Amino acid sequence: MLRYTLSRLVSLVLSLLVASVAIFAVIEVIPGDPASYMLGMNVAPDTVAALREQLGLNGTVIERYVSWLGGMLRGDFGTSYTYRVPVAELVAARVQVSLPLTLYALVLSTVIAIPVGLIAAARQGKPTDLGVMATTQLGVAVPNFWFAMILVLIFAVKLRWFPSGGFPGWDKGIWVNIRALTLPAVALALPQASILARVMRSSVLETLSQDYIRTARAKGLNRAQAVLRHAFRNALIPVLTILGLQFSFLLAGAIIIENVFFLPGLGRLIFQGITQRDLIVVESVVMLLVGAVILVNFLVDLAYALVDPRLRSRA
Amino acid sequence: MKGRLMLILGAVLAGVFALAALVSLVWVPVPVEQLAVASKLKPIGTPGFALGTDHFGRDMLSMLMVGARTSIAVAILAVGIGMGFGVPLGLLAAARRGSLVDEVVMRGNDLVFAFPSLVIAILITAVFGPSATNAIIAIGIFNIPVFARVTRGGALSLWTLDYIRAAEVAGKGRARISLEHILPNIANLLIVQGTIQFSLGILAEAGLSYVGLGAQPPIPSWGRMLAEAQTMITMAPHMAILPGLAIVLTVLGLNLMGDGLRDLLDPRLRRAR
Amino acid sequence: MTLLSVQDLKLAIHGTEILHGVSFDMQPGQVFGLVGESGSGKSLTAFSAMRLLPDGARPTGRILLGGTDLLAQTEAQMCAIRGRDIGMIFQEPMTALNPVQTIGDQVAEALVIHGAASRAEALKVAREKLDRVGLAGDRFPLTRFPHELSGGQRQRVCIAMAIALRPKLLVADEPTTALDVTTQAQILDLLKGLVAEEGMGLMLITHDLAVVAGIADHVAVMQSGRIVEQGPTEALFRARSHDYTRRLFAASAHHPARTAEVTETPLLQVQDVRRSYALPRKSLTGPAPRLEAVKGVSFTLRQGESLGLVGESGCGKSTLTRAILGLEDTQGGTIRLDGDEIRAGAMTPSLRARMQVVFQDPYGSFNPRWTVGRLVAEPFHLVPTPSAEQRDRVARALTEVGLKPEDAQKYIHEFSGGQRQRIAIARALIVRPRLIVLDEAVSALDVRVRAQILDLLAALQASHGLSYLFISHDLHVVRAITDRVMVMQSGQIVEQGQTETVFSAPQHAYTRQLIAATPVIPSEWMTENDTLV
Repeated sequence: MLRYTLSRLVSLVLSLLVASVAIFAVIEVIPGDPASYMLGMNVAPDTVAALREQLGLNGTVIERYVSWLGGMLRGDFGTSYTYRVPVAELVAARVQVSLPLTLYALVLSTVIAIPVGLIAAARQGKPTDLGVMATTQLGVAVPNFWFAMILVLIFAVKLRWFPSGGFPGWDKGIWVNIRALTLPAVALALPQASILARVMRSSVLETLSQDYIRTARAKGLNRAQAVLRHAFRNALIPVLTILGLQFSFLLAGAIIIENVFFLPGLGRLIFQGITQRDLIVVESVVMLLVGAVILVNFLVDLAYALVDPRLRSRA
Repeated sequence: MKGRLMLILGAVLAGVFALAALVSLVWVPVPVEQLAVASKLKPIGTPGFALGTDHFGRDMLSMLMVGARTSIAVAILAVGIGMGFGVPLGLLAAARRGSLVDEVVMRGNDLVFAFPSLVIAILITAVFGPSATNAIIAIGIFNIPVFARVTRGGALSLWTLDYIRAAEVAGKGRARISLEHILPNIANLLIVQGTIQFSLGILAEAGLSYVGLGAQPPIPSWGRMLAEAQTMITMAPHMAILPGLAIVLTVLGLNLMGDGLRDLLDPRLRRAR
Repeated sequence: MTLLSVQDLKLAIHGTEILHGVSFDMQPGQVFGLVGESGSGKSLTAFSAMRLLPDGARPTGRILLGGTDLLAQTEAQMCAIRGRDIGMIFQEPMTALNPVQTIGDQVAEALVIHGAASRAEALKVAREKLDRVGLAGDRFPLTRFPHELSGGQRQRVCIAMAIALRPKLLVADEPTTALDVTTQAQILDLLKGLVAEEGMGLMLITHDLAVVAGIADHVAVMQSGRIVEQGPTEALFRARSHDYTRRLFAASAHHPARTAEVTETPLLQVQDVRRSYALPRKSLTGPAPRLEAVKGVSFTLRQGESLGLVGESGCGKSTLTRAILGLEDTQGGTIRLDGDEIRAGAMTPSLRARMQVVFQDPYGSFNPRWTVGRLVAEPFHLVPTPSAEQRDRVARALTEVGLKPEDAQKYIHEFSGGQRQRIAIARALIVRPRLIVLDEAVSALDVRVRAQILDLLAALQASHGLSYLFISHDLHVVRAITDRVMVMQSGQIVEQGQTETVFSAPQHAYTRQLIAATPVIPSEWMTENDTLV
């Protein structure tokens, strides 16, 4: 187990390093000078020079990469060109919206999908199963931001059950914020839950056809006991993979859906950064998001080992 | 039987939109460049504008037809990039299992998989400027590891079979075996995966266009139509509903086709006696 | 008192009748052998008694277990019977256990599920049962996971699970088919001991007449969904009153007539060949340990000779075979065919053309998208031949192996397992090689088909002057078709010599062990007409 954890840890660090190089490189290959790119046309040369100085553009590529990386490790993401405040402060404020939204959606998606997939598999070919398959087939095809608009139309505009957008802030209490995040979380979660439920169903069915299920039945377990005692845990192994991917999808989805609900999250920050050519903000937020996803994949790898003893004993 | 039904239903759905896209190359009800502020925000069923008009008075049906063209073109080219690079890489990795090439391909894949694809697409388009071309590249790059992985997985299971041994004993090299024996036998897998990636490509293009990083005006696209509709959602809900439905139905059609093909082509089902 | 009475059992799957009225009685404390070829319905008979049939299966008739008609029970009642009154073990021990649960929990579950014990008590019983099946507590604590055990050990866990509640009836479906012959002997001994000790009945389903001969008190022979003959084992085996039984016996004892002439000219010379693989590192530092699969093997195969190579799984014979075929590098030694050195990646087409191969799996040996004609012609890649001549020679090769020239137009899925092996032989013959490597080439075939293929091989050897390297785990087959034999163990050849000499007077302990473990039909049960094996 220790060996496995160590090897996953090494690959975590490697992934983070490669990711940082890739993101740094993308910013580097911007045609021309990033400083003039950020300032646009018709700017005095000394303004450009000042920005170059501030961006630390006056060194070799390696020096700049190392100082960027070192800064991030110390929590210094640089200073936003448009907001004139440290990027870290901006990010810290926006994470308070994006992260709860993503987790809310992840919980919703899992809580809905696992039982639905299990039930569909247990009633394979019956009306329940066909209904689940048809609904999820549709759910997979729905773009979450459009679904969000439809939800707003129904639940905010027509029924007025939820606010159509905005975020009060955590200092205003928990429930108002959860209410504000509910429609966005549902819009994010349902399409992903459709995918997860389908994976869960097919994984359980695959597991049910295994020899050890027949062994269990020969011991006297009924179908339901065989599913719960033997199929479920084995079926979770592929589901974990999808769960890891879902975090990445949900995070990216959150960025887009924040636009629908006017939520002051990382998504709004990154798009403002893009329109205002505030590359430092874009670079940092992207690195942060990629880092979060890589970290979650690491946790998923550890979860594998908890579920599957074969991984624990192997290298 | 069920597979056939899904395939037909899916092909009809996706076919309708593909046909609309093709027709839009030569004819649309009302040219989309034609702005008519006088007839703006007309509801569905208005004479002359079967599906109504948008806030510039453009014909929604025509916009949707041309938008289909954008979506489908972007998705097809992105799948092309994915297959063009991913399949050879996957074949190579499988033919030299455990070698440096295999290791590089697989680790590279893991890495790209670990990246939130949309975020990277946003980064690419943000840096290189939003355009349909950059959207294609951004989506296409993330298709490469998908096809590489599917190809490698399918190929590896074939490489263990005795007919590959027999071909080796007949003096055939790995490249030739990959082309003669492996590729034809994983074609089914690739077709199914291609359909799935096609539908994901349409969703991704819509997402990028929605946040303004896809096809740029004046080329209409479903995602941007949705972005424009957002502020008028109470006044003109049809502006938001129609492009969304177009996306849902196209993607649904492609997914049904993919599932149907999988059922029909799955060797496990076909070889079952 | 009768333990199990199957009366006029019929089984239809999706409307097609598979079992056509099977009837037999089993007594307690008795081993009842159910033998037949694949597709005879022997496993479905057992699954009917367990009521674990595939979807769409409809059994009719009566299956009485101590007076209770199993076919009349509800599913809930069956769940109470399974595991408590009937235990079952299956063919494939590698996949029969849940990979994410400990062996202790899996054995204990049998008791817990029937409410026979609390979990703590159940674990105690599980310990006793695992001890009883030969998995002692010091080496096999309850906390072991299945992947840490070998196939034979896993089968023991399955047996412990099946006998945990001391059922009256134990059903074993080909319990040793997936195991090596020495492991098979141990498992059969264990089963025999359990029957004697616990007084339960054992229904043993197998394709192997010799296994039945060694263990069963009573035997029933099945063919196409019917029992053609049944009775006490020895009497039935001696009398063989039914024609099908006679044919099965003849086929399993079949010795093809061999007329080939062995010369003294060496054809294949293997000298001190070594092959090892890197294993995953055990510690973070230090070199990776290596697995030595082949540790210095030397032998010579002479022209016209049929040389056998026997050994159990993992002994290195597959690795050695791949090296001889030039598909795998070696770390030492030389392999020469007709004087020319065989090296992976450095073989001329004309050298390759002198040696061809037939593999075990009749299903995986052919690209399903090619016609038989194209498949058989594939080795022409080595010797450029005009396509008209290729067609002629494919037609001739197909005729030689007992197929028709028109079969060249068909696809492989249109052929049976035996026909496929004929096609594989045609493919091997097409470039007129000197040596054909037969890698478990008849192991997947039913006994009667196997006899036909062995005859074909013997005839082709005589007519074409071929040499064979015959690799197999099956001693019967090797004895029937080879002139000389080599016995391989842990990467080394421990004994080689004339086949008859090695079999009748084995010198090495391992050879003796192998021969002793191989089940045989007692020779006094056979008549003079039978060719003794």
